[in-house]
Amino acid sequence: MFSIVFKRALSAIPVLWIVATLTFIMVRIVPGGPFDMDKALPPEIVANIKAKYHLDKPLSQQYVLYLQRLAKGDLGVSYKYANRTVNDILTSAFPVSLELGLLGLFFAIIFGLPLGTIAAIKRGTAWDAICMTGATIGISVPTFVIGALLIFVFGLWLRILPVALWESGQHMILPALTLSASPAAYLARLTRSSILETLERDWVRTARSKGLGYWSTIIKHVLRNALIPIVTVLGPLTAILITGSFVVEFIFAVPGMGRFFITAVSNRDYDLIIGTTLVFGIILIVTNMIVDIAYTLLDPRIKIEG
Amino acid sequence: MNQAWSRLLKMPTALICLSIVISLSTMAILSASGLDLSAYAFDQTSNDILSPPSSSHWMGTDELGRDLCSRIIYGSRLSISIGILTALIALIIGTAYGSIAGFYGGKLGDFLMRGIDIAYSLPDLLVMILMGVLIGRGTAGILISLGLVSWMGTARLVRAQILQLEQEEFVDAARSAGLGQIAIILKHLLPNAIGPVIVAVTFTVPQAILSESTLSFIGLGLSPPACSWGTLASDGWRSLRTHPHLIFFPSLFIFLAVLSFNLLGDSLRDALDPRLRRR
Repeated sequence: MFSIVFKRALSAIPVLWIVATLTFIMVRIVPGGPFDMDKALPPEIVANIKAKYHLDKPLSQQYVLYLQRLAKGDLGVSYKYANRTVNDILTSAFPVSLELGLLGLFFAIIFGLPLGTIAAIKRGTAWDAICMTGATIGISVPTFVIGALLIFVFGLWLRILPVALWESGQHMILPALTLSASPAAYLARLTRSSILETLERDWVRTARSKGLGYWSTIIKHVLRNALIPIVTVLGPLTAILITGSFVVEFIFAVPGMGRFFITAVSNRDYDLIIGTTLVFGIILIVTNMIVDIAYTLLDPRIKIEG
Repeated sequence: MNQAWSRLLKMPTALICLSIVISLSTMAILSASGLDLSAYAFDQTSNDILSPPSSSHWMGTDELGRDLCSRIIYGSRLSISIGILTALIALIIGTAYGSIAGFYGGKLGDFLMRGIDIAYSLPDLLVMILMGVLIGRGTAGILISLGLVSWMGTARLVRAQILQLEQEEFVDAARSAGLGQIAIILKHLLPNAIGPVIVAVTFTVPQAILSESTLSFIGLGLSPPACSWGTLASDGWRSLRTHPHLIFFPSLFIFLAVLSFNLLGDSLRDALDPRLRRR
């Protein structure tokens, strides 16, 4: 397993390099710079600031300087949050997004998997119809509407949960629920079709005909095999949830990576934009690796190659 | 194809959704062409400011006294057309890319597929925000950035279909009849792959409507005076506490449109492949 981890880490380097280069080029093509203010600064001052951050040098030289710093693990400085390095900002924002994302994932799984399983086992009944209608509604409601609804019910009407900021466990419930709604609906639909497909396999009939009880068959044989396609989508899903749903962080004023990314883009905070994108790339690679390892645990027939 | 169509028309959900989709689209077309609502949608002379839904204003009015109902009809023009146009852009890019990757295969095909993997691995919202800043946040900018994040699914699908169809005898027959490669793709492969592609396109429309409204909501999409359901909901968000009707009705219409397209896509898939329906 360690050799797999090592090989993956090695192959991640060129991918991250491409992502860094693309974002580097993209942010610099975008019109407007980090020091464009409503009130124009005197040109001498702008020139001084630019010289300080090496933004006066030709692009190729800036690029080389950036890669040199990146190789040392230094993501640069933020131009807007004075005196804060990008590493500093991201180390404070990432844990917030991580907590929110993992809690959202947890909610998505505990709602999505049972709903999908019930719908599949009770196929064609009212249970199926109710679960699947719920899931279809879940993927059709925009995230901000769910957020607004939850804020309205729990924050303004019942007044039992705080609706903004990130201070205690209570503050996490509404954002995490909002974040989990559409993944839960998606997981429910996927679980249903995956279980239905597995139920038709020959070895399920074999298990039943050798006298195994209905529920033992479902739990021991069907669920375990039906989980494989679900684990596949959990990888990218986790990455997206952890790196912060921009909308949820925006609605609930959560100080996570998504919110920093939005402000960084509108401020043209070059290094912060590239840094956030790179962290996202790393998370994506790591979660995909974990998914591949989880496969081998679920289905010993699958062998991973490098 | 005709069989699938008649199966579709026998499904009650499909009929309801189809009629909702058609009426929403008619509303959008009417407000875009003949029916001039701008007088009502931008009428600020009314004294009814921020009034709740009533008989004179079915959905209430906003902070400038503009009738929300006519603003929603007016907004359907942008929301629905962005949804449909994005799906068309995704269809064109995805079909072209997927056919080339599938038909030519080999190194070129592998290279093109890695391109899709990379495009998939970037988070949609990140790409849309960056593209929006790059090309501007008007309707055209939104369309291009939405199109850029929506084509990959169609491309994969078309490629898989073409790889499968290529093995069929009628392709050999066409080839031995001396047909060129482009002609084989256009006349024989794509027409046979059309079913699943239509389903994929139907699912792209609601996705695009959701993305547009979300972008506009966080302030990185369309901005006033452009009027879409997303910008209306974004305006309503600010007065959630005091005047919830301002966010309720735009959200309801986004939900209705997205739900109808999603269910229509489900029914279309079942109609095209009755095997799936039995499951």
